Amino acid sequence: MGGDLGFYLVQALTGLSSASALFLVASGLSIIFGVTRVVNFAHGSFYMLGAYIAYTLIGHLGGALGFWVAVLLAGVAVGIIGVVVELLILRRVYQAPELFQLVATFGVILVIQDLALLVWGAEDLFGPAAPGLEGTVNLLGTRLPEYDLALIALSLFVLGALWLLFQRTRWGTLVRAATEDREMVGALGVNQAWLFTGAFFLGSMLAGLGGAAQLPKGGADLLMDFNILAAVFVVVVVGGMGSIAGAFLAAVLISELGAFGILLIPQSTLVLMFAVMAVVLIFRPWGLLGRPEAPGQHGQAGPPEPPLRPPPPRLRAAGLLLLAALLALPAFADDFTLVLAVEIAIMALFAASLHFAMGPGGMVSFGHAAFFGGGAYAAALLVKYAGSPMEVALLFAPAMAGVLALVFGWFCVRLTGVYLAMLTLAFAQVGWSIVFQWGEVTGGDDGILGIWPSEWASDRLAFYYLSVLASAGGILALQYVLHSPFGYAMRACRDSVVRSASIGIDVQRQQWLAFAFSGALAGLAGGLFVFSKGSVFPDEMSIPRSFDALIMVLLGGVKTLLGPIAGAVTFTWLQDEISRLEYWRLILGALIIAIVVAFPQGVAGFLRARAGPWFGIREMEA
Amino acid sequence: MTPANGAGADRGDGRGDGRGAGRGTGRIGGAAAGPELDGRAGPPGEPPRVPLLEVRGLCRAFGGVRAVDDVSFTLDRGRLLALIGPNGAGKTTCFNIINGQLAPDRGSIRFGGRELVGLAPHRIWRLGVGRTFQITATYPSMTVCENVQMALLSHHRRLLSLRGRASAQYRDEALALLERVGMAEQEDRPCSVLAYGDLKRVELAVALANAPSLLLMDEPTAGMSPGERIELMQLTAGIVAERNIAVLFTEHDMDVVFRHADHILVLDRGRLIADGAPEAVRANPRVRAVYLGSEDVALA
Amino acid sequence: MGLSLSVRGLHSFYGRAHILADVSLEAAAGEVVALLGRNGAGKSTTLKSIIGIVRPAQGAVELDGARISGEPPHRICRRGLGYVPEERRVFASLTVNGNLEVGRQPPRPGLTPWTPARLFELFPNLAGMGDRTAGQMSGGEQQMLTIARTLMGNPALVLLDEPSEGLAPVIVEQMVRAIRALKKEGLAIVLSEQNVNFAMKVADRAYIIEKGRIRHQCTIDELMADEAMRRTYLTV
Repeated sequence: MGGDLGFYLVQALTGLSSASALFLVASGLSIIFGVTRVVNFAHGSFYMLGAYIAYTLIGHLGGALGFWVAVLLAGVAVGIIGVVVELLILRRVYQAPELFQLVATFGVILVIQDLALLVWGAEDLFGPAAPGLEGTVNLLGTRLPEYDLALIALSLFVLGALWLLFQRTRWGTLVRAATEDREMVGALGVNQAWLFTGAFFLGSMLAGLGGAAQLPKGGADLLMDFNILAAVFVVVVVGGMGSIAGAFLAAVLISELGAFGILLIPQSTLVLMFAVMAVVLIFRPWGLLGRPEAPGQHGQAGPPEPPLRPPPPRLRAAGLLLLAALLALPAFADDFTLVLAVEIAIMALFAASLHFAMGPGGMVSFGHAAFFGGGAYAAALLVKYAGSPMEVALLFAPAMAGVLALVFGWFCVRLTGVYLAMLTLAFAQVGWSIVFQWGEVTGGDDGILGIWPSEWASDRLAFYYLSVLASAGGILALQYVLHSPFGYAMRACRDSVVRSASIGIDVQRQQWLAFAFSGALAGLAGGLFVFSKGSVFPDEMSIPRSFDALIMVLLGGVKTLLGPIAGAVTFTWLQDEISRLEYWRLILGALIIAIVVAFPQGVAGFLRARAGPWFGIREMEA
Repeated sequence: MTPANGAGADRGDGRGDGRGAGRGTGRIGGAAAGPELDGRAGPPGEPPRVPLLEVRGLCRAFGGVRAVDDVSFTLDRGRLLALIGPNGAGKTTCFNIINGQLAPDRGSIRFGGRELVGLAPHRIWRLGVGRTFQITATYPSMTVCENVQMALLSHHRRLLSLRGRASAQYRDEALALLERVGMAEQEDRPCSVLAYGDLKRVELAVALANAPSLLLMDEPTAGMSPGERIELMQLTAGIVAERNIAVLFTEHDMDVVFRHADHILVLDRGRLIADGAPEAVRANPRVRAVYLGSEDVALA
Repeated sequence: MGLSLSVRGLHSFYGRAHILADVSLEAAAGEVVALLGRNGAGKSTTLKSIIGIVRPAQGAVELDGARISGEPPHRICRRGLGYVPEERRVFASLTVNGNLEVGRQPPRPGLTPWTPARLFELFPNLAGMGDRTAGQMSGGEQQMLTIARTLMGNPALVLLDEPSEGLAPVIVEQMVRAIRALKKEGLAIVLSEQNVNFAMKVADRAYIIEKGRIRHQCTIDELMADEAMRRTYLTV
């Protein structure tokens, strides 16, 4: 009996200790977002760097004191890296359109991945035990590692320190004020730039500290960055953006569920996490301790979007010309070019579907790969288990992706802005975990192979025409819907929720269906993708795949309809060119960062400003 | 307690000849004159007379603060009722409860005999409650005409339709409404570039799109010049008369209130402290103490 | 001592929209100047261009002869220019004391430094509310808090954007008293208003702005005397 009690006690404490890394990283993300409004995708990378740097420092310092000094120094070092990123990159793009900073932070992820590979190698590193805390303590007959207690103490200490910092110091007061209204804080004589830099230092340091402190438990590896990101987003969404206490509460909740859930049904943790998130968000859409995001907050309004007009004749002609050129391409191009063109066409459809949701729909999705991959797996599974022909599978893909988007979207449209975006990422990660772990059905990491087109389309040329026409058809369908009453109502919901509700629009239903439509077309892209490759892997649902689409849309420019296409062409081509090189991530990341700094209004935004007038695109009247 | 119920009934009945006529779909776009819009209340003369809007014992608290505390009033067709009071007195909260954006803690709102509490804003709108906002809420990425067309598309239940270009649908009806508020000439401009006073007119046209029988106007003239204020209120009064609808509005400009309201309610810290005709409210010492102040601002 | 402000030939854009065209105005030390015009006439943009929230595309803003245009808002603020925004942008989750702390800047030579205690004398409604969360205060109290918050920066010149907008007449009266008290302290004030009656009670001079251009300038006495002018510029 006592043993049972001890077992549960130890289980609870284990949960608490694993909450510590989550809490540290999530609170850092929350602080950075609160002050700068940047969702720092690279936050997982900072966490990973913390672990690696601590590993090296512990090797040099040694001893019990040396261990803790190394952990602390690793945190500070990562804090400084965060400051460098802020000063060199982000500071140049704060004025850029909303979310464009995400592209830059994604570039940082790629750069850090390859730098870590260069410095520490591809092997997973086992963390050294903390000197003096190698043993276990006996709690009512069950043993608990001493280091777990240290981690619990650390997170409580950080929680208290952050509370004092924000409630009792001038800097903390300024940060809280800036979280509400940065512009006003500046007008009251506070130098915002240093506040931003300070927030970046603190937030990055917390991430680094989190990575360093978990080293004895989890070691260091190159997948840490993306592995923690989804969990951290869940913690931030459940806890409430900008609330440190909320982040703590949510981290504990999620970790305890993990600790106990594993006892009930092994591998149930994901389902439990999903369920908790759903319950919390239904009753408290802004998280346990969060506050609603004010629509159109002060100081971040961009110039308004011009009304939607039918494409002017010259632009229409240019579009037809482009399509004609694509149809004529096989006459001139070699096989490699055709393969690349197919991939670009598919990615353009994927990006256009995301653009539909996040541009005119106003619903930013960080996890659109859920539907791309969802469609891909739906098609592949149908072929594998039902022996269905390609034609049926290509219809099944968008249908199932649409159903998936209906399920995820039902929760997502209850939220707005960055909460919605983070929730989509969390859902996508759930999807990824399912295909990754459910090996008997999905083949797990090995994927599903041998999914080839029907006889008539198996020829390189035929498949080229099929995918180009299907992608172009999908993009035109998105355009058509955008101009229809349904598309207008969707845009109305983005422009003003209160106005829409007060002229009889059921805002959530409208957004829900629009989200599902967008997901269905992402699924069509996924279906085409499977047949173009002949296989599907969990990668198609992973965070990097979601980010690919996001980068394409943001690179292209959210406010232009051509943006996603321009972005898809640029990014897919770049990736294709560079990925043959060693350390291609480093180069691609650096390139992305360079593009962001050079074209802060997006590639298409830049082109539009230069070439738009010739095509008869009307700018806003003065 | 009720704002001059008798007078309201008289007015309503006086225009009863137009009732029931023109309930078809063409009623919105028709020539603006004539009391062609009506129908939700019962036929004239039907005993027990039900007011268009009947609010009873409305309460709503935010974190212990009673924003609206036991507010009751009624409103009839053809009347302009002003809701005034200091900032934070609960006026906007009242509005948000009536049009369904907020749920009350207690109380009932009957509209044409039907309970509104518990209904979502979009359902309340379909019953015939239009609304304009304190801070104008229009669609900046659409043209003036498209803003009105959007409301018409919703009215005609075409929100899920994928057929045709939205910008070509119900255009004539939208233009007729814009004509009525004097905005037809600017129909093709984006709403994001309009002058403030013009946006308020667009809002009015949008609010009229489903032929409401009650119009809620939250500070309709805030941010306008004195001349524009008078113009807008005259326009509103004209619409009230010709369509026989009721208007409930909040306002800080006492000029506007005392010149245009038929009846005035005064809120202070969530409670109704006065309820009567303009002259009586102006003379009320309590209203002067908490709201109007020592000077006779209304005459300024 | 107060500061004098000189604005010359200011042009500002919002996106591509030309909001201000060749705006010039002066405010001497200790003077209250009203910028009158309708909503959308360019009043707020003028004040925002002076404090640096909107970067003027052309023109110069000078404080006591030193050019400040082009500097970021926090530098301009530290030179002694206070800005009170429209729409009561208090930090809703902070307490009254927290809001005042955000505005605090070092004392300015020649001016009695503002303390919360002195501010509570100026705005008696705020007294005893130090620990109240700003978001839970009434609109009038919030409006007073925004002014008090700016005064904590010990400005020599204050820009007040629509101080009477949306306030109950009783609160407007208190606002009139407060502005008169600030003038007595030697502060210069530039306020934007559409409420002519309010401006006439506090201002020495007035500029009338319409469609981003200064159409007229005069003393308040002239404005009071000239009903035709009021009609031409301030009503349609």
